Amino acid sequence: MNTDLNIVGKRVVRSDSLAKVTGEARYTADLRLPNMLVGKVLRSPYPHARIVRIDLTRALKVPGVKAAVSGFDAYGIKWGVFRYTQDHAMLPTDKVRYIGEDVAAVAAIDEETALEALSHIKVDYETLPAVFDPIESMKDGAPQIHDEHKNNINIHVHIDVGEVDKAMREAFIVREDTFKAAGEAYAMMEPYAVVASYKNGFLDLWMPNAGPHVRAKALSNLLKMPLNKVRVRHINSGGAFGGRSEVAPADLVASLLSIKAGRPVKLVLSREENATSSRQIHDIIATIKTGMKKDGTIVAKDYKVIYNGGAYSSTGPIATSIPFYVYEECYRFPNVRYNGYRVFTNKGIRGMYGCHGRAFLAGNEAQMDLMARELGIDPAEIRLKNGLTPGEVTATKSKITSCGLKETIETASERTDFKKQWAKRSRNKGIGMGCVAIMCGFPMGFRSGSSCYVKINDDGQVTIVTGLVDNGQGNESMVIQVASEVLGIPMGDINLVCADTEVTNLDPGSYSQAAAFVGANAVKVACENARKRIVAIAAEKLGVAETDIGLKDRMAYVVKEPDKKMPISWVVREAFFRGDPIVATGSFFPNIDFEREWVSRPWGQMAGTFSFGTSVAEVTIDPETGKVTIPRFTAAHDCGCPINPMAVEGQMEGSILQAGVATITEGNLWDKGHLLNPDLLEYKVPLACDMPEMDTIIVSSRDPAGPFGAKEGGLTVRMNAYSAVACAVANATGALFEELPLTPDRVLKIMETKKGVKK
Amino acid sequence: MKTVKVTIQVNNEENVLQVKPYETLLETLRERLALTGAKESCGMGACGACTVLVNGIPLRSCLVLTAEVDGADITTIEGLMKDGKLHPLQEAFMEKGAVQCGFCTSGMIMTAKALLDRNKRPTKKEIVRTISSNICRCTGYKKIIEAVEEAGKK
Repeated sequence: MNTDLNIVGKRVVRSDSLAKVTGEARYTADLRLPNMLVGKVLRSPYPHARIVRIDLTRALKVPGVKAAVSGFDAYGIKWGVFRYTQDHAMLPTDKVRYIGEDVAAVAAIDEETALEALSHIKVDYETLPAVFDPIESMKDGAPQIHDEHKNNINIHVHIDVGEVDKAMREAFIVREDTFKAAGEAYAMMEPYAVVASYKNGFLDLWMPNAGPHVRAKALSNLLKMPLNKVRVRHINSGGAFGGRSEVAPADLVASLLSIKAGRPVKLVLSREENATSSRQIHDIIATIKTGMKKDGTIVAKDYKVIYNGGAYSSTGPIATSIPFYVYEECYRFPNVRYNGYRVFTNKGIRGMYGCHGRAFLAGNEAQMDLMARELGIDPAEIRLKNGLTPGEVTATKSKITSCGLKETIETASERTDFKKQWAKRSRNKGIGMGCVAIMCGFPMGFRSGSSCYVKINDDGQVTIVTGLVDNGQGNESMVIQVASEVLGIPMGDINLVCADTEVTNLDPGSYSQAAAFVGANAVKVACENARKRIVAIAAEKLGVAETDIGLKDRMAYVVKEPDKKMPISWVVREAFFRGDPIVATGSFFPNIDFEREWVSRPWGQMAGTFSFGTSVAEVTIDPETGKVTIPRFTAAHDCGCPINPMAVEGQMEGSILQAGVATITEGNLWDKGHLLNPDLLEYKVPLACDMPEMDTIIVSSRDPAGPFGAKEGGLTVRMNAYSAVACAVANATGALFEELPLTPDRVLKIMETKKGVKK
Repeated sequence: MKTVKVTIQVNNEENVLQVKPYETLLETLRERLALTGAKESCGMGACGACTVLVNGIPLRSCLVLTAEVDGADITTIEGLMKDGKLHPLQEAFMEKGAVQCGFCTSGMIMTAKALLDRNKRPTKKEIVRTISSNICRCTGYKKIIEAVEEAGKK
């Protein structure tokens, strides 16, 4: 740790926490605007049906109803993250494609009236055959969900590096396995909500979102409004985890209702609607073939991965790719072929998730352990042997700069006495390790970079303005901390204006793990530019060279004679006198190959840098019931530099819950197109009593391009914790899992298969 | 529609209200009294985000009808500060980094307050058992447990 730093690297109290512990922090559903109406949505009861007619007339006659809309009131525009994925009208006019899809909506003076009005909307459907299983969906003759996608294949990502078949033939051992996993629920505590207020040609919007700028752009397209007339405002977000990244049907619905009614509209989804109709998480079937040399070197990988994408494209090309990339960014694959298929089905729309890809990642890691054991190599050793090191290039041509993978494997191993525990496994006890690397940012066109404006006010206080977003992980506090470090002004003196499309500049958002590496970097550059101006005036006033000036505790001082000093506020006032106030801008644009494209050109520099991590899970299995418990979990994460170690630990601990403990508990359950566990009673989010003892280890690799060396804070755990648990269960049972979550019945089956006992 | 007259003390203030017979306490607090610290997350008593104290007992306000609690003394998160000073639980949640997205925080603090009110120095086990009534999706609970332990010492 750089000891010259005053506040970066310290366990500081997050700037947003005071409002949150007093109940004063406002979330979307808390907003109350004058004359505000309540919006409610009528949803499709069918998984697949042609819309013949939507009649709103009787609903509009209900006293107290101020507006009613269907897709016929929209502009016939379909949204897609990419030009080639524009398939989502948000309010369909042709057909419905999943149970829970938005069909029509009303705005009324209160909830009762709105609900009554919904019952008066008449929709005539012609039901169509539906398909729910991606394998069935890909077959000839399956119901066609979108006309333009033959066999319902939404996205095919094809990567082929080296000579996979030849390498497989020459490998010492080859193994092929198929792993499945049910999609999890985001289960963010805040159900989705939107407030839309249309006035004087301007549309103001509040909703939990991970990127206001991309959201405003989507809505300006969908509503045929100029971008500057659509203003997405800052509001607290009650958790996102990848599920608030994209424009949502509710955004369009609330906007249309507000435009029609001429009054603000609040639309709050119920917990069930949040589960069925906001975003869901892909179910995955991953077939993994691996070839190894006798010494454990991976010589080839051959993948076929099928993602059940639900009814629309969403972030399809990205979702179809990410599990592969976070794995190839971690290990050396001289020959690799990846065929990822995202397939349409008549289920809810699947998006990105912080823990996305558990069948693929846990499958890879568990299979590697089994092969290594056959070769007499332990899991730590095989990971060290195949893990990437600084300066190496991934299979798809991303250069790795800072890389603490080795340190994370070694420290996590030491802390858990891994090798010894792994060797002395018993049928009821196991230990397992999972590794992964995470791109900090990825190609998002001109939205890949971030900019910040900073102004120093006449009292020496600071306002920083940035597009950066906080969904609860502490990004707001992080950039205030960075600004405080650079300017020598306490965090409490720094105001932040962020995530408001009218005043802030483009930023990748709380998406693609770019907040620290990209967003905080831009804040740092802006503050450094302001600092230069402060230092120039202070040096002149104190009669020393600029290089002799330090800034700390609101003072500019001479480094060698700390008693020689002046308040920064004096410097600022002097600047005002000179008609040249201290304002500055700063930008950061990561080193990314922008020729890179998810489908058409899947190679080139993916991100400016990568984080690395190793998780170790210790499990016990009840041999009678197959119930897995996780008494202890250790996670080591190379975040480059922890700007606030307490916040990084918090991210790691949350990831142990959401990815690690989830491995034994979480998964959506379906009966055809019906989601059976859309609420928090049936969907088991781990509780305090379900949590293991957690040991979090922060590894600092000091990234050369990161702000104070920082990369991202904790996502590796979110994408390797399930691997650690699955590997630990495999360590105990001696056999691979077939499907996640590892519910007691599945674990019993694994144990019985291994014993050769048939039911 | 017929309404019901209730008198409730909320954060030491008396409120005489005409409420709908099916109105939940959560709705009354949020919509009538503009006390939005208690959150609706699951709406069915599973998550505890709407927890408030009713006569000192932590209840899920989404499952309580306001008409049922006529005459009750209710404390919400907004009533925790005293003379401009934070409650030790509020301080500890900040200092220990127990707050992330914040949506569960009010309910978590109110649940913990009920515990500390009857047991000043709970063991870690007691804390875990108590807060297992509430869901937090962000933190993994470790820092929340530490915060409650810390507040107990204050």
